[in-house]
Amino acid sequence: MAAAATGGGISADVPILHSENLTSNVKSIYYSRTFLSIISGVVAGIWGFTGLMGFVFYLLVMMVASLGLLVKAKFSIHTYFDSWNRILIEGVFGGLMSFVLFWTFAYDIVHIF
Amino acid sequence: MGIGHVLGVLGGALLAHAAYATIQYRAVLKITEEEFSSPPMDVMMQLLLGLALCMWAGLVVPAKFLSVLPHSEENRIVSLPANLDFMTFNHRGRALPSDPDLKLKT
Repeated sequence: MAAAATGGGISADVPILHSENLTSNVKSIYYSRTFLSIISGVVAGIWGFTGLMGFVFYLLVMMVASLGLLVKAKFSIHTYFDSWNRILIEGVFGGLMSFVLFWTFAYDIVHIF
Repeated sequence: MGIGHVLGVLGGALLAHAAYATIQYRAVLKITEEEFSSPPMDVMMQLLLGLALCMWAGLVVPAKFLSVLPHSEENRIVSLPANLDFMTFNHRGRALPSDPDLKLKT
């Protein structure tokens, strides 16, 4: 009981987090983002987006994915993550490369060949 | 294989079918010599439905979030050691003076 009390006192200043669970959560987010960037790239390619329109579509999909992750975390970010950036921007720029790759790939198959 | 995997495969199949339909639509446009602006309505519905299904799968299939708070209910270890039959409490420690406040004084 005393240990729990001191733990609560320390976490008021420096938050103590379960780092293994945090790593597992961030890895789960990376899986979601990578899969969704590939799928959104295929959709953008089939739809026939060109130029800036495709990137707007990607940002839109990623915003919807952030909302989905927020629902998955049951709207209590600080139970599962250390900051809001984890679900808002984690993996967005990493997924952009996969998005462009699959966008051009699907566009080539559907519209050019 | 949970429900998420099934939805993901279904979404992927829908996207593949939409791609095939768009290729055929381009072929028809080439014959009638019209310009392509956007795929037909049913293909767009298929694309949106496939995207929604795959998004559901992409959010459900990866591991569930675990609590990072050290004192939360989920992080408690409730399993007991396996050798419970060999634990003994009838030892010489009973004869020693017991002082529960001893630790707090030091």
